[in-house]
Amino acid sequence: MSIIQHLTRVLPKGIVITGNESTRPYECDGLSMYKKKPLAVVLPENIGQVRIALRLCRKLKTPVVTRGAGTGLSGGAQPIDQCVVLGLSKLNRIKSIDADNKLAVVEPGVRNIAISEAVSKYGLYYAPDPSSQIACSIGGNVAENAGGVHCLKYGLTVHNIESIKLLTINGDELLLSRKDDGLGLLALMNGSEGLLGVIIEITVKLKTKPDLARVIMAGFDSVRGCANSVADIIKAGIIPAGLEMMDKIAIEAAEGFAQVGYPLDAEALLLCELDGSKSDVEAEIDATMKILSGASTIKVSNNENERMALWKGRKSAFPAVGRLSPDYYCMDGTIPRRNLADMLEKINDLSNKYKLRVANVFHAGDGNLHPLIMYDANLDGEIQRAEEFGNEILKLSVEMGGSVTGEHGVGIEKLDAMCHQFNLKELEVFHKIKEVFDPDSLLNPGKAVPELHRCAELGAMHVHKGVLPHPELERF
Amino acid sequence: MSRLGQLQSIVKDADELHISAEMVNYSGVIEYYPEELVITVKSGTVISEIQRVLSENGQSLPFYISNKNDTIGKEYANGGQGLSDFVLGVQIIDGNGDLLNFGGQVMKNVAGYDVSRLLVGSKGKLAIITQISFKVLPDSYIGEFNQPIKSSDQSTIRLQIEKKLKEVFDPRGVFI
Repeated sequence: MSIIQHLTRVLPKGIVITGNESTRPYECDGLSMYKKKPLAVVLPENIGQVRIALRLCRKLKTPVVTRGAGTGLSGGAQPIDQCVVLGLSKLNRIKSIDADNKLAVVEPGVRNIAISEAVSKYGLYYAPDPSSQIACSIGGNVAENAGGVHCLKYGLTVHNIESIKLLTINGDELLLSRKDDGLGLLALMNGSEGLLGVIIEITVKLKTKPDLARVIMAGFDSVRGCANSVADIIKAGIIPAGLEMMDKIAIEAAEGFAQVGYPLDAEALLLCELDGSKSDVEAEIDATMKILSGASTIKVSNNENERMALWKGRKSAFPAVGRLSPDYYCMDGTIPRRNLADMLEKINDLSNKYKLRVANVFHAGDGNLHPLIMYDANLDGEIQRAEEFGNEILKLSVEMGGSVTGEHGVGIEKLDAMCHQFNLKELEVFHKIKEVFDPDSLLNPGKAVPELHRCAELGAMHVHKGVLPHPELERF
Repeated sequence: MSRLGQLQSIVKDADELHISAEMVNYSGVIEYYPEELVITVKSGTVISEIQRVLSENGQSLPFYISNKNDTIGKEYANGGQGLSDFVLGVQIIDGNGDLLNFGGQVMKNVAGYDVSRLLVGSKGKLAIITQISFKVLPDSYIGEFNQPIKSSDQSTIRLQIEKKLKEVFDPRGVFI
């Protein structure tokens, strides 16, 4: 019997989806340039059905790709050959809210923003806010260790999770909590991209909504001046709730799209949000305004409407850039903040070299860059040029002491880039960690960690004193 | 030979090794950029020394410290989630004597599994931690820390996983 026959025999009608047309919505995630059809899609309505699907897949050695809302940007939820997609979108109940202890227990398919909406009446919210928060699921957030605009002050997903329940490939339940004594297994699961287990329940930590939030918008005549002010703010002992930067192309695109009053004569724009008690915010606004005295334009929000308007431009920057170019390729490298200005200049040089425009929109406070490389997929060779350009940016990020991905994950997209960041022995450790949890390599295999020969082929591995590591490996 | 090189040889030659601050003997602040909110230290650095360096810039380690006279390596090895939240990267020597780096010195980094936080609480049984990078905070953002409560519950499946993870990092069972 085939896996489809097995699944449809045991699971109720409507849970297993097969056939070309019905499975089409699942053939890619947010990285839509790559597509593949799965054998079947299973959409369980309870944990028992997740367990049944996992056990059957394990028995028949069928690979399983777990999927949340499909908003990921690195192909983490993209089907692989002959796989079953395990879509957890129907597991979307908020099971309980404990306002006193600021915790909520939720199923993995609950949308990120739905948590904040549900706890809002208690004056609470869930802090991590990836820009896809109206659609993305909390299970996917944990799998990717998702970030957002407010990470510098409030942390990434990993910092805002109290515990998770997951199913191993055997269907066994494993509860991991912040209180565990022993190895940091809870942290390991955050950002494990569906390769180690299937998350079935999450207890999230909630935060009290700040009394007040105000945002300062500052335009600068030079990118370097703007980047330096980022370091100056932090050096002064201020941690903004959000600290975002945009370059000229991004400013023009966002202003054209959202008409929020961004200065079109500026070379770079800084958005700095301060939140907390009324007195703290006022004091920090005063201190920050002094630091930003070199800005060519400066504006502070006086009410919530003005604050939301200033953010609207930033939040619509991606679709706005989408109007400038038929396609764009979004990168996600991180670098130490002190290198921001140098990095932006180098990206500009590369833009001239590859003859592709690039808009920079990024989480400056975290040193997390999102260069948007604009190209036209219909023109011969432009995709390849955009990919090469992107790869050079990621290589630069590593050389500057950063990482190839800050919050979007490796997925299938950055497998090559991983070879820049890790040597073969480090990659081997990753493969062995997967083996501990998934000895037959059935959970999202081939994603997140490149095969060693892939890096050898690329010739990107670290060559120490002219001696190649692992000389026994074939290099073809 | 550098201290790291010596330590690699010691591990390679050893059948059994008990990791301690005296044995590792590797201390000092490697890099500290106040405007980055990041400090990188050798694992044998005494915590009070790290606190002294940070306090010159009005910054602190933002987690509960059991004993400031201990080394940061010991605090990490016995640490829990509070400390883990502020770990950005580690350098280790595994049971084969290989020097490996995980994580980094940036706030956001989701490349590869989070080994730098996995090894928090590894109690010196998986690898020698040689270097740790932490996110630090300005004093005004730091409140009181309570001693973390740890649960003693250990499920069978968790114990099996921890045993297999030890074999990943220390396949010869050198670290006792």
